[in-house]
Amino acid sequence: MMSVEKSSKAARGNVQCENTNIHLLKANDYVAEIIRSKMKETSTLLINVTSSAGSGKTTLMQKTAQRLKDKLKLAVMVGDLETERDADRIRQTGIFALQIVTGGICHLEAQMVHQILDQFDLENLDLLFIENVGNLVCPSSFDLGEDYRVTLMATTEGDDKPKKYPKMFLTSDLMLVSKADLLPYLPFSVEAVVKDAREINHELEVIQLSSLNEEGIDEWCEWLLAKVQEKKST
Amino acid sequence: MHETSIINSVARTLEMEFGEERIHSLERIFLKVGILSNIEPRLLMNAFEAFQQTYPTFSKVSLEIESTPLVIHCAECDVDSEVQNYRFVCKSCGQPSKNVIQGEEMLIHKVEFNDE
Repeated sequence: MMSVEKSSKAARGNVQCENTNIHLLKANDYVAEIIRSKMKETSTLLINVTSSAGSGKTTLMQKTAQRLKDKLKLAVMVGDLETERDADRIRQTGIFALQIVTGGICHLEAQMVHQILDQFDLENLDLLFIENVGNLVCPSSFDLGEDYRVTLMATTEGDDKPKKYPKMFLTSDLMLVSKADLLPYLPFSVEAVVKDAREINHELEVIQLSSLNEEGIDEWCEWLLAKVQEKKST
Repeated sequence: MHETSIINSVARTLEMEFGEERIHSLERIFLKVGILSNIEPRLLMNAFEAFQQTYPTFSKVSLEIESTPLVIHCAECDVDSEVQNYRFVCKSCGQPSKNVIQGEEMLIHKVEFNDE
């Protein structure tokens, strides 16, 4: 897997040229595969949750924990540049959560996830969320070994985001239109955001939800339960 | 921040592949980055210049960055289409496709050494 094709071309004078074609993030993808095979062994569903800062990832984690903690065993690892605040908030719901403090790095890398993976009791875990750093740019390039990538798109962000940050929507499996309770007050078209996102990724699934008034939370939880079931049966 | 960590990763990868000794005769690095890679060539160049000041081994190395357009392949028509305005549709049949064959890459495409 780590082997790279190298073909030495004819030397030009004393200049030796080597065609390499090495992926810049090869080291990351190698670790991501290690994570993927670990999760396969324990049949733990791994979900990478991404979005801009302030779109409601942590609130959704809290709501999801409240709804599902009696039905399955779940835990969260959460990345931020600084502070333990998000992990604290999630732990208040009674599930296990660990904070990854990136110290200024704008995304999570597979190595960071792998380093703390041993602290989770994977054998007894059905579902592990990775709440990524709030950022629609860099996290899109880093495979964390996840089964699914879920991107929140808050109504407060404006409906023009998918085309501005295409890679995130291309690499996502599910888009959650979050803060749907605010729709009556905002110039935000769900239809427009879904159209733009699906022009990038026609397979993208969409759920409209609100962690506050619980619209769409049932549908989201059913989606998760189905994926957990699928993972167990493979 | 992002660009700096990418340049670090390039240097680390090359040292891994060719060994620290050989890196001393490194002259040119060719990168190929797709427009979907979220890498901005100009910023990457700045990051490389900053890197060179810290790591003298790389002070005489030049960096060439090629930016590649976004191309998808349609399995139905067996046709490649360049993606315009991030509409991922086949130019021949108009059907959507997310089979990206170019434009996502982040590659160390080629390196040149001056072995004296």
